[in-house]
Amino acid sequence: MKKLHIILLFVLFPTLVLSQEDDDIKWYLNLPEVTIYAERPIKEIGTQQTRLDSIVLSENIALSVADVLTFNSPIFVKNYGRATLSTVAFRGTSASHTQVSWNGMKINNPMLGMTDFSMIPSYFIDDAVLLHGTSSVNETGGGLGGSVKLSTKPAQADGFGLQYIQGVGSFKTFDEFLRLTYGNMHWQTSTRVVYSSSPNDYKYRNHDKKENIYDENMNIIGQYYPIERNRSGAFKDFHFLQEAYYDNKRGDRFGLNAWYINSNRELAMLTVDYGDDTEFENRQRENTFRTVMSWDHLSENWKLASKGGYIHTDMAYDYKRDLGNGIMANMTQSRSEINTFFGQVESDYYMGKKWLFTANVTAHQHFVESRDKSILQQDGNKAIVGYRKGRIELSNSISAKWRPIDRLGMSLVIREEMFGNEWTPIIPAFFIDGVISKKGDVVVKASVSRNFRFPSLNDLYFMPGGNPDLKKENGWTYDAGLSFAIGKEKVYQLSASANWFESFINDWIIWLPTPKGFFSPDNIKDVHAYGIEMKGDLDVALSKDWHLTLNGTLSWTPSINEGEPRSPADQSVGKQLPYIPEYSSTVMGRLSWKTWSFLYKWCYYSERYTMSSNDVTLTGKLPQYFMSNISLEKTLSCKWADFSIKGAINNLFNEEYLSVLSRPMPGINFEVFLGITPKWGE
Amino acid sequence: MKIIKLFLKSPSHRVTKSPRKLGDLATWSLGVFLLLSLTSCMEWEYGLEESFDASGEGLFICNEGNFQYGNATLSYYDPETKVVENEVFYRANAMKLGDVAQSMIIRDGIGWVVVNNSHVVFAIDINTFKEVGRITNLTSPRYIHFVSDEKAYVTQIWDNRIFIVNPKRYEITGYIDVPNMTMESGSTEQMVQYGKYVYVNCWSYQNRILKIDTETDEVVDELVVGIQPTSLVMDCNNKLWTVTDGGYAGSPYGHEAPSLYRIDAGTFTIEKQFEFKFGDAPSEVQLNGTKDKLYWINDDIWEMDVTAEHVPVRPFLPYNGTIYYGLTVCPRTGDVYIADAIDYVQQGMIYRYSKERELLDEFYVGIIPGAFCWK
Repeated sequence: MKKLHIILLFVLFPTLVLSQEDDDIKWYLNLPEVTIYAERPIKEIGTQQTRLDSIVLSENIALSVADVLTFNSPIFVKNYGRATLSTVAFRGTSASHTQVSWNGMKINNPMLGMTDFSMIPSYFIDDAVLLHGTSSVNETGGGLGGSVKLSTKPAQADGFGLQYIQGVGSFKTFDEFLRLTYGNMHWQTSTRVVYSSSPNDYKYRNHDKKENIYDENMNIIGQYYPIERNRSGAFKDFHFLQEAYYDNKRGDRFGLNAWYINSNRELAMLTVDYGDDTEFENRQRENTFRTVMSWDHLSENWKLASKGGYIHTDMAYDYKRDLGNGIMANMTQSRSEINTFFGQVESDYYMGKKWLFTANVTAHQHFVESRDKSILQQDGNKAIVGYRKGRIELSNSISAKWRPIDRLGMSLVIREEMFGNEWTPIIPAFFIDGVISKKGDVVVKASVSRNFRFPSLNDLYFMPGGNPDLKKENGWTYDAGLSFAIGKEKVYQLSASANWFESFINDWIIWLPTPKGFFSPDNIKDVHAYGIEMKGDLDVALSKDWHLTLNGTLSWTPSINEGEPRSPADQSVGKQLPYIPEYSSTVMGRLSWKTWSFLYKWCYYSERYTMSSNDVTLTGKLPQYFMSNISLEKTLSCKWADFSIKGAINNLFNEEYLSVLSRPMPGINFEVFLGITPKWGE
Repeated sequence: MKIIKLFLKSPSHRVTKSPRKLGDLATWSLGVFLLLSLTSCMEWEYGLEESFDASGEGLFICNEGNFQYGNATLSYYDPETKVVENEVFYRANAMKLGDVAQSMIIRDGIGWVVVNNSHVVFAIDINTFKEVGRITNLTSPRYIHFVSDEKAYVTQIWDNRIFIVNPKRYEITGYIDVPNMTMESGSTEQMVQYGKYVYVNCWSYQNRILKIDTETDEVVDELVVGIQPTSLVMDCNNKLWTVTDGGYAGSPYGHEAPSLYRIDAGTFTIEKQFEFKFGDAPSEVQLNGTKDKLYWINDDIWEMDVTAEHVPVRPFLPYNGTIYYGLTVCPRTGDVYIADAIDYVQQGMIYRYSKERELLDEFYVGIIPGAFCWK
């Protein structure tokens, strides 16, 4: 620990080292041109977006996109534990209000409506864009909170390339990453493999239960909070991604992406579980295959793009217990299978420099089957509980974007969606932006949109409880923001933005218990979500060798239930929705010196209520938490290969924290990564 | 807010002036990091145990909490003073009750709280609420019934066995295998005893009342009723009463009009079937203290003499726009207590009515109040 402090001292106060250098040093700054701030692509008029670049996404092979979003974006990540379900929500909405696409294909689970971001390794994503609120209407409908666009890109390889990274961490965690690339003038191919495994049995002091000490007459003579391990939390995740791109250099580009996931995860026991983990098994297995083929035709004024894709997912959930004879008997066996076919055609047409017209037609055809394999017996008959359904989902849009003068842009998007045989009304979205001051690149943006979200297939048909009479969730969202960017070429860049938003969502769908013992969804709440999101980015070249990057976000997101009281006793009206923090913030700082790089990540979530009435009780308390992670990386180079070695410390201050009640999170933990990139052909 | 302000205030003109200033900025920015780090602290309080002495008569309320969130609680209400104490288990023991508090009974001054998804039954002192012991590693316990001081049965869901436990040693001592039931479709629920026989209703995807011989710990008979009998009581005439929920639309097990059944415990035969409308969802059959009046929930609250031949035309208390989730009748005064879970993610409300339907009190308890236990 002492050593750690010494390292920290040097890393956190680099100027102690700097000050001893020669004053005559000439500042050499390795920064991109600052003029990028002045570029406001006509396609992005008025949009509020957060882009996560490849540096952030490829920081660490052990990270999922959920981990990256936690420390680099203003959206809320609800994490049920390490390597466990992680969902994200924008601006006080729910996880199913976030639409997620991968290379243009929607990957929200059509049964649940949400996406598990813990199942997306950040090393498989080359570009991630968060479209906040109204801005999501540019891409898709249903993103009442926003949307997340995940993409892969050609590796820009020249000849053969290989990268291999191995990570070893606490709790016997092993991460392997391999990437093979090949590229020439026309072809780019890439093969990526990630394998992560861990018993995930981290220790923690369980303050939710006590161990009893009995005397011989079974009287309790002592109690203590036990130090327990995270029980039944092991995971083995395998991901394989194959990409191939062909560019004929005459305006045609072809792409193929195929991603296979094999996941085998136990579901960790609650802190209040008194079962013997050796006698229970609670496991979820998933096989998913996603593929997207694309063709883009580019000419001087227009672009035509088409995509086709397919998703297959089969999931198995098993809950078993030992009958005392070593045989694990099934208590629950749930199975689900999803097949989705995807097609998309879109076109952009530039009429001069002032107009851009776009049109997009997207279709997803889902076929799903959900079944609980519990065998019901009645009069000798056997039956299975579940449902089998198909649904076509169409989303069509046209837009006109106009920039009459350099300083002003306007965009109108008209979208319409059809799920099953039900159409939404017209979904309009209007965007405007303008440069208030060229000095400082001060830009003001505003937008407004309507939006709808159809119920998921489980909402409608799950057995038991599905409610086929559910209405679409619907709402209006308003955005307005201000941003600036200043900088000096090769010296520094500083940019920041503040954005106000306001959303009204009606007929919010919530699952509630029924008198018959199961849950059923209903359109219950009208929600008013509003607030402010702020971002700041600073990039400074401190010297020839020193480089500092700082990024920060801050969100204030009240999300208020404005529905009718369910009964005279209802105390939830006018209150913040449960499990949504009112404040959140992130900071990431990277300091690099020659071949060394130090990274500090910090995030904060304010207290989350666990009750709709916002009462805080002893058993329902989720206090605010701060999380700090650091890592230090050194790259080495020799004639035939580049090497990297990285050490990371997560939960630096060994904080005891919870994202969800009764789900323990790991304390301080460590990881070491070794990477090699041979220099073939150089 | 502060963090971003610090970024925005970073004076850009300084940055470009001199190398030393650049260094200053770096130091300053990194100082902010350090500050942020040092502010990281959680707000947890542990180990504070509260002393209670609830020596009078009272009512325990089991608040299920939300499944998988471990926020079940126990409330205690004194009908005399109309004072309610919430989270008494946590406050007395400085630990959580667990996940889904299903039911509670009292025997010889000890309360036995069955916590379904925590796989545990807690034994507590009913005056101090302090834990005195626990039975662990149950499959998915629902109810406990005492056969003797040293033998009790614990019913389960997702298990085709009823667990036999020794409450003195807090040990599982054996199992009663239920015939024609698999682990997956296993469901045994409430228990009542008549002589040496214990009767059990089988609810989830079941349609039976079991008869268990407490001397041999074996199922000796069963009686088929309608789909999914939800509860079971025995009146002053030794008649068993159960009500079915009729299943649900689309269930492969069937969906039918639910019924209330009167069963003679001695002959173990159905004496009377009161059929409800198709689509109704009756539940929570309860008795008053003299066991001559029957109560249940079917949107409204209903009351009926145990000798009645017809279900009353009008309810005891009409539906008030919310879903009633629990019901009990004070064995001493006959006051009727109704639990309203409201939206199931906030403190539920208990309404207390007199026999004359007069609202006497109302008080908030924990999340999803589902079961009651009279001291």
